[in-house]
Amino acid sequence: MIAISGLAWINKEEYMCVRNNMLVSYKDFTSFDGLSRTGIFSCTFKNFGRLDEVSKLVCYAVALALRDAGEAYDSNLKKDMGLISTNADGSLLADIAYFRDYVDSGRKLSRGNLFLYTLPTSPLGEAAIHFGLQGPVFYMTSGQASLLPVVRTAAELLMLGETRLVLAGINTEDEAAYFVFVKDPAPGQQVLCDISEALPALEKGGGLRDMAEEFMMIRKGKV
Amino acid sequence: MRVVAVLSEMLTPYGLGTDACWDNIFIGKTAISRLNRFDTSSFQSDYAGTIDGLKYHQKDSLVMQMLAALFEKSSPIPSDADLLVATTKGEIDLLEEMVLQNRKETFNNSQATFLEKVALLAGVNTNGTLISAACSSSAVAIARAAAMIRSGRSDCVLVVACDSVTEFVYSGFSSLMALEKISAMPFDKNRSGLSLGEAAAFVLLMSEERAEKEKLASLGEVLGWGLSDDANHMTGPSRQSEGLILAIGKALCSARIIEKDVGFISAHGTGTVYNDSMEIRAFSSVFRDRRPIYSIKGGIGHTMGAAGLIEMIIAMKVIKEGAVPPTVNLREADPEAGGWVSAEHRLIRKNSVALMTNAGFGGINSAIVLA
Repeated sequence: MIAISGLAWINKEEYMCVRNNMLVSYKDFTSFDGLSRTGIFSCTFKNFGRLDEVSKLVCYAVALALRDAGEAYDSNLKKDMGLISTNADGSLLADIAYFRDYVDSGRKLSRGNLFLYTLPTSPLGEAAIHFGLQGPVFYMTSGQASLLPVVRTAAELLMLGETRLVLAGINTEDEAAYFVFVKDPAPGQQVLCDISEALPALEKGGGLRDMAEEFMMIRKGKV
Repeated sequence: MRVVAVLSEMLTPYGLGTDACWDNIFIGKTAISRLNRFDTSSFQSDYAGTIDGLKYHQKDSLVMQMLAALFEKSSPIPSDADLLVATTKGEIDLLEEMVLQNRKETFNNSQATFLEKVALLAGVNTNGTLISAACSSSAVAIARAAAMIRSGRSDCVLVVACDSVTEFVYSGFSSLMALEKISAMPFDKNRSGLSLGEAAAFVLLMSEERAEKEKLASLGEVLGWGLSDDANHMTGPSRQSEGLILAIGKALCSARIIEKDVGFISAHGTGTVYNDSMEIRAFSSVFRDRRPIYSIKGGIGHTMGAAGLIEMIIAMKVIKEGAVPPTVNLREADPEAGGWVSAEHRLIRKNSVALMTNAGFGGINSAIVLA
């Protein structure tokens, strides 16, 4: 059995931890960057300010998903947990930012710290370092903003024993949602739902917030 | 469920065809040469492995020109094949043009459009999935394709890989001080960086049952794979090599073999000081005895997202020919690589199983076991 043990969604104003039935409007007390200083990370995130905006968003979403799943983490205690993601446009904004900056500077010098984020896996690399994730890390897309391919792949990674847990998610430039998938949850371990129950909600499409609310309804149906 | 390769092709700086690449690498000849595609005067190097005849910033992207040449003369691909496309930057030269011409139109859905074009060229009835995992992209795509077949989700997957030498990537690698001045020298004592290269390739993977049903001979088998992350640094490999050691361990386990079954290793071998050192430490940790290792990146350069697929095809050729090629540009082996690498070709024992490793930014590691 493959189950979802945690699900988090975040945008530039609010976040949601679905299994724990928590919706927080953080814009009322802090900014997007300020969120990093509110205990969202359970250990200090070194040089968080250096990350690009998408990486910050992805790292927030991963932190919240792990919290929702009750998974503790420590950069120094690495674990075999995979991290896969999708979106429609890869690292398009970072690509444009890097190359425009290079062209504007006369095509002589480019900035390594901008080039660093021109891979769709760059936000995942930052997250893997902070959360100590040593499982498979990759990005995949069908060219659409659909979670279904990554969810199927997360299930496959677990079924074939390639890793112990999988974080799978999606992001735009303004919002992100990440799931934690587990195979054969331990007796007594609380999960949100079985993957088969999740598929209809994922197939509906629509916005990420709507999807997270749909999972809230699934959760409420179980309480 | 056994996973076999039944068809493959490659386009590299040596030209079209596996034999062109194999023959040149086997005699130790490099295809890395002076780059004249864009102004390199302010960069760390002006050398790369490029493919003759490609037109830069004219109508079609470099990778689409490569893929058109690749599929033009290939045997037909089954139209029901699933499609995985591995790349780091795909058609990034189209975005370069947009920025250079200061065009303001949006560049949305570029990945969807790219996938549609590749599917059309390959003749498959799916739009496919793009896989990106830095310079492990095609190794990850091979692993995912094999996983789709092993899990029963598909019985036929076409893996396509491509990346090109553009001003975008060249300036970026130069800014990271990652380039060798002339031509990459993997595992050499005096190595100091990588050479960028470009290539396109495909491998058609099938379940053994389907291959038998269609009477297609096996070129090689994907026995197992392992994927991991260093969780250590964005651009540099872990000095303890634990990420790659984990990936190799997973791959051996997935292939149900033990370390002594591995007859030779196709290394990532970029030519950077840290990557090659990290790999040798991983191999020394996993394997009790030294065995032949080679890298082809002194020959064609580091072809980024295409590297793993080109290296898989060459590794299958090594198994068929019974000999590993020399590591091109190796003059004096780094002391820690001594006894593992050679500037000469070496024979391998019969029934050798191959281990292929790749690594990329973000600490991404992959290990594939081939037979």
